[in-house]
Amino acid sequence: MAFPLIIEMQAVTKTYPMGEVTVHALRGLNLAVARGEFIVLLGPSGSGKTTTLNLVGGLDRPSGGHLAVDGEEIAGFNETRLAEYRRKKVGFVFQFFNLIPTLTALENVEFALALTQRGRSIPARAGDFLSMVGLRDRADHFPSQLSGGEQQRVAIARALANRPPLLLCDEPTGNLDVDTGRQVLQALRDVNRDEGATVVLVTHNTSIAPMANRVVRLHNGMVDREEVNPKPQPVADLAW
Amino acid sequence: MKLILLKTWRDLRASRAQSIALIVTVMLGVASFAATVAAYRDLDTSYNRTYDDLLFADVTFSVQGAPETVANELRDVEGVEGVSGRLVIDTGLELPERDAETPDPVRARLIGLSASERPEVNNVLVLEGQYFHSAEDSAILLDTHFAEHFDLGPGDTVSPILNGTRVDFPVLGVVASPEYLMASPSKQELIPSARSFGVFFLPLGALQERLGATGMVNDIAIRLEEGADEPAVVKHVQEQLAPYGLTATTLRADQPSNASVKADAEQFRNVAYLLPSVVLLVAAISVYVMLGRQVRAQTPQVGLMKALGYSDRAVMGHFLLYALVIGVIGSAAGALLGLPIGKWITEMYAAELGIPIIETRFYPDLILGGAALSLVATIVAAIAPAYGAARLRPAQAMRFDPAIAQVKGHASLLERIVRLPLMLRLPVRSVFRVRRRSLTTALGIVFAYILILMVWGLLDSIEFFFTESYEIIERWDVSVSFASIQPPATQETILEWDGVRAAEPILQAPATMKAGSASEDILLTAFDPDQEMHVLQLPEGTTAREALAGGRLVIATGLAKVLGVSEGDRVTLETPFGTEEFILGPTTDEMMNAVGYLSIEGAQERLHTLTVPYNGLYLNVDDAQSRQIKLDLYHLPDAAAVQRKADLVTDMRGFMGLFYLLIGIMMAVAVLMAFALLFNAMTVSVLERKREFATMRSLGSGTGRIAALLFAENLILWLVTLAPGLLLGHWMALQVGTAFSADLFTFHIVVAPTTYVIAAAGILLTMLLATLPAIRQVSLLNLAEATKVLA
Repeated sequence: MAFPLIIEMQAVTKTYPMGEVTVHALRGLNLAVARGEFIVLLGPSGSGKTTTLNLVGGLDRPSGGHLAVDGEEIAGFNETRLAEYRRKKVGFVFQFFNLIPTLTALENVEFALALTQRGRSIPARAGDFLSMVGLRDRADHFPSQLSGGEQQRVAIARALANRPPLLLCDEPTGNLDVDTGRQVLQALRDVNRDEGATVVLVTHNTSIAPMANRVVRLHNGMVDREEVNPKPQPVADLAW
Repeated sequence: MKLILLKTWRDLRASRAQSIALIVTVMLGVASFAATVAAYRDLDTSYNRTYDDLLFADVTFSVQGAPETVANELRDVEGVEGVSGRLVIDTGLELPERDAETPDPVRARLIGLSASERPEVNNVLVLEGQYFHSAEDSAILLDTHFAEHFDLGPGDTVSPILNGTRVDFPVLGVVASPEYLMASPSKQELIPSARSFGVFFLPLGALQERLGATGMVNDIAIRLEEGADEPAVVKHVQEQLAPYGLTATTLRADQPSNASVKADAEQFRNVAYLLPSVVLLVAAISVYVMLGRQVRAQTPQVGLMKALGYSDRAVMGHFLLYALVIGVIGSAAGALLGLPIGKWITEMYAAELGIPIIETRFYPDLILGGAALSLVATIVAAIAPAYGAARLRPAQAMRFDPAIAQVKGHASLLERIVRLPLMLRLPVRSVFRVRRRSLTTALGIVFAYILILMVWGLLDSIEFFFTESYEIIERWDVSVSFASIQPPATQETILEWDGVRAAEPILQAPATMKAGSASEDILLTAFDPDQEMHVLQLPEGTTAREALAGGRLVIATGLAKVLGVSEGDRVTLETPFGTEEFILGPTTDEMMNAVGYLSIEGAQERLHTLTVPYNGLYLNVDDAQSRQIKLDLYHLPDAAAVQRKADLVTDMRGFMGLFYLLIGIMMAVAVLMAFALLFNAMTVSVLERKREFATMRSLGSGTGRIAALLFAENLILWLVTLAPGLLLGHWMALQVGTAFSADLFTFHIVVAPTTYVIAAAGILLTMLLATLPAIRQVSLLNLAEATKVLA
């Protein structure tokens, strides 16, 4: 059964110690994301946007509150279930790409596929995902032979490999120039539109916000305000 | 400066496991070097102090018989400082019953000493009881080795057999003698055995009377003045003693106990310097490699420091400080550990050998030497990569990603030949594309092989020595030597005894072999070439009869090397039967060098005897009756020494006890160091790939899968290093064997096939175990942080 809301966060808190100080990264966050939405989380440093992404992605655990993804309360998952959750429900795109340096572009995508599937068709399916991001011809290149934008697009293909319902992107253009950044954003847009993946993109760059269906602004660990874009702007029109 | 110190301290704490592993590596290197070299020096000092305090002879002359007054004449010879005339005989000795059992009789050397005053040469140190009261005393002093072995002391009674008759003597005291620090009967019988050979001191007058040799001596020991012309003094004394039937002149270097002591000391010195030096070198190189990797991993921090305004010098100073702390703590810990261990080794060794005077010292040069090498290694380790990092522009350094920067090259050859599944491609690529990391880890593995095989090879070689010597070469069960040539009837009589299955006659004599200007003392044995109680180890296809044909002399391969001679060369042998020239046959590959063999038929020809001349027998006997046979042999009128092979082997193994102890210590050091090396290599590998592993976990890979990848990498590295590791380990074992050999014997290094298997399996297991802490680190990674940071 498909839930209309893919992410439900109610009164979610996250605190962690930093030396003798306790940092309240989230102070009762309420956020709901509908299936198929393209959400941009905006906010200054320390507002809790990356923490929100980490919690939804199962990279960290909330200190309190209710967090459900695709109908499952993930806060109580043990490490084994979390690993399974990350395999099947979430695709992560990092700021620093995080490709495995000893695998080619194709193999980096295969790596993710191999976590959930078996069979000789894995390389072919991995190739399809690379085609999706326009990098089929770079399949046999290692990360050290790819540009930053190409690496990030490979990371997107890898994140999509297991067709997760949810794609989480943490500053995906943070390390890229404008043109390359647009390419990456376009790839995300295409995935959202063509594959129906829900995309949550974290950024501090307000110029990206117009491309989203909805912009959620965080401040001091809580949602400050939300803005709906009835007509999201094409990526080509974004400027920063 | 204060902040740099603070950062250094924090960095050490943050990587405390690796820091501790590095410190332990340095500590083991310094400790093993300091301990063994200090122990060697202390033993050498203790020996020399004992010789000085107890007035050890510089030269000893053996004569057939001379009046006691000859000592007074010799005192007037220029260069002579002291003279002692003594009566020395070898005979059998019976021991008192203990626990309802009578021990086997032993070979006894009785030495008649001046009783009215202490000898002015070869004095004794009274350890228990007292010295003789007067010349009329009929008491005996026991040498300490013998007394300890049989738990004898003042109040006990021992019974030497004099002229075929058992005579009881009460024990007055237990003494240590500089002549018998190792109670070796002769230079050809170096292994001391208190079980079968003891030294006893009696008042000269009492011994003379029992032997019917009143007023006579047959052994004159002299001490030289400092700076005396030894050859000239020896020549003068020889001329003066010639009328008394001079049979032997023994310089201090050739004195059996001293020769044993020096051979032992030489071996100990070689092992003491070589083994720890290898350990220290491995420690130094390992620190260089590991610290280098850690510094490289911190290149982004270097960029940051420079971006903030720190100078290149300040940056390098930071890493230098890090390395210095590791080096200083490791060296200090090594010194603290090494010195008491060295003292302990000295005391154990001295106690085991019965060295009466022990002197231990503090050797600052050893601590400084070991520490200096470690500090140089740690400083060089940090300086080189830190300099490289400091030369980068700040932005470049901050962009440095150790994970990507190390990955070079194309797909490996293996992949180009075989299409591997993805989960195998990853570990194969990790090994073959990331060459710097793989090479440094491989180096650690190879070092582990070297350390372990070097030490274990010695153990295997000792076992080989026992097998070869006592199962392949010496196949007799009991041997007996007589004081004079025996008639055929002696052999015939013994053959009729119960339990005696076979008896082979042998003719044995000490001899001096000369080849050009070189000479060596050997034990010459003549036997029937077809006998099988002592099997010569000749070149393949050569029989003993062929080798000994035509009166040829067969010597040990090691002796031939020492003298620089080979088959066909002519050598001269000086024996109690005369001096003759011989042609050398092929050599026999035996471990003891000081041996030579002739055909007994040839001996009969040269000596012009009607029957086969023999003064000894090799016997094969029934095991159950060997003890009784030994007892009966001692009661033969002319029997000088009887030996059971089983006892000889037991004594040898006991003698090796200390050696096993030393090897055990070195093995413990080798294993610890191997673990520290591998632990560090595995841990740093994981540290460098924190982001990679965090990403895998973020993608949904479980820790088990990552552990499997790491194990697969380790297995590949283990396979790749197997051949070089075993080969280099074997080579190092051979070098140690060479160092272990001395003039008196050639040590064959033999590494058993099972040792290679055990070493390889042990190292694989150690690698896997050393990976467990790293895997735990992966499971505990904070994924949110680890996926965000570059280093």
